[in-house]
Amino acid sequence: MINWNSLILVAAVAIGSSVGLVTVFSIGMRLLTNARNIQGHTKKREGARPIEALNRIAAYLMFTICASAVLYGIYLIVPYFHLDK
Amino acid sequence: MDPILVVALVVGLALFFDFTNGFHDTANSSATAIATGALKPKTAVLIAAIMNFVGAFLSTAVAKAISVSLINEGINIGPELVFAGLTGAILWNLTTWLLGLPSSSSHALFGGLVGAALVFAGVAAINFPAVLEKVVFPALFAPVIAGVAAFLATRLAYLLTARSQVSRKATGIGTGRSNFKVGQIFTSSLVALSHGTNDAQKTMGVITLVLVAAGLQPTGDHVEWWVIIAAATAIALGTYMGGWRIIKTMGSGLAEIKPAQGLAAEVATASTILASSNLGFALSTTQVASGGVMGAGLGRKGGAVRWNKAGQVVTGWLFTLPAAGAVGALSAFLVMAGPLGILADLVLVIAVSIAIFQISRRNRINHSNVLSEVEGASEVVASPRQVRKAAADQAKKDAKQAAKKPAKKSTSKAKGGK
Repeated sequence: MINWNSLILVAAVAIGSSVGLVTVFSIGMRLLTNARNIQGHTKKREGARPIEALNRIAAYLMFTICASAVLYGIYLIVPYFHLDK
Repeated sequence: MDPILVVALVVGLALFFDFTNGFHDTANSSATAIATGALKPKTAVLIAAIMNFVGAFLSTAVAKAISVSLINEGINIGPELVFAGLTGAILWNLTTWLLGLPSSSSHALFGGLVGAALVFAGVAAINFPAVLEKVVFPALFAPVIAGVAAFLATRLAYLLTARSQVSRKATGIGTGRSNFKVGQIFTSSLVALSHGTNDAQKTMGVITLVLVAAGLQPTGDHVEWWVIIAAATAIALGTYMGGWRIIKTMGSGLAEIKPAQGLAAEVATASTILASSNLGFALSTTQVASGGVMGAGLGRKGGAVRWNKAGQVVTGWLFTLPAAGAVGALSAFLVMAGPLGILADLVLVIAVSIAIFQISRRNRINHSNVLSEVEGASEVVASPRQVRKAAADQAKKDAKQAAKKPAKKSTSKAKGGK
């Protein structure tokens, strides 16, 4: 009477996507902090600039992934987008 | 009594239930965002209200599909039965709100209807396996799934953003964890939107059920436009009222929540709800959100869940179905007595609702004091009795203090020093 398969599937997807999404967001935050850190160090010598930019770009990439996850969430919520018309 | 009048009363009651549903569940999406300061209290409830309003228009699939599946087929769910069931759901929602307990409004609705059906049609009317499958088991699993998700997510968030104290001091750059607040704005809106698409539907479904039963609508395959607008407005207004007592419990009563935890809890809530509604294992938003908060509370080092409060919340969940059912059943007895019974029942419900609002004014909680430092940090919403007791204790203490003032000076100083 209890559908164990769908329960386990729900649990796996819920836990997996939460952990994945928060991980990506946290990595993004970490990269931003790193970028600021590098910026702080390079005030005197100009050489390290590309690494700072790399960190920043990677961070924004992470946030883009998170934004698409939110969009996917909206897609799932709004039936108009995915139900057979 | 004129059947049209009964239908009108039921529609009114259903909309009032929708309203209580709104303010009862504001906490699900906004409590953690308010607790961490990601959103100002008023802004948070406004966003939640708009999302709920919009969500109500997005689909009527749930409303069309709602047949109260806990009641066996062949039982006539007429306006009178729904009337009695709604009174049970409303009174239980108001009671749990007074106590500051997040509890599932859907379970309250099911409970009320089941209780009323028991009186109208006997034990045979209840589909007990469905009660286990749709109410009892989900209540066990919802908080655990969201809790585990939020716990792991919180752990990882802290791990990934950790910086040694030495490097923080050397560079003057912190961990940047307060920036998790930015993400919270999106996740809490997502939770509110999904809430709107689900919960307003239940009221629409109930109203449609009654309209069809009364012959005012030929079939239940669509929802009248005025029903959609009314239900959307009622839930949005309720949400905007903000069930501050429940927000307080969810935001600071169960666990102290910092931005990274808030984000983890909200992501876990949104993921669990979306997974459950798309993969076919319906879970209660309230129970998922509460589990998320607890998991996030445990996930931070030095963080803790206030098990005392958590125990109260879970006890509330256990009682939701039977308590709403009991009120629904009592109502059903009154309603079965005829038109006068219906009127008496209505008067009773209004009287009890007013009484509950009056009691709530004794320790009012609203947007301005929902997270006040003094109470918010360690205290949880107190029941009226606790408030009276605390006041009495304080008065006693004051009297004692006044009597012993000169002698007690040194001891109170020593106490204060710990």
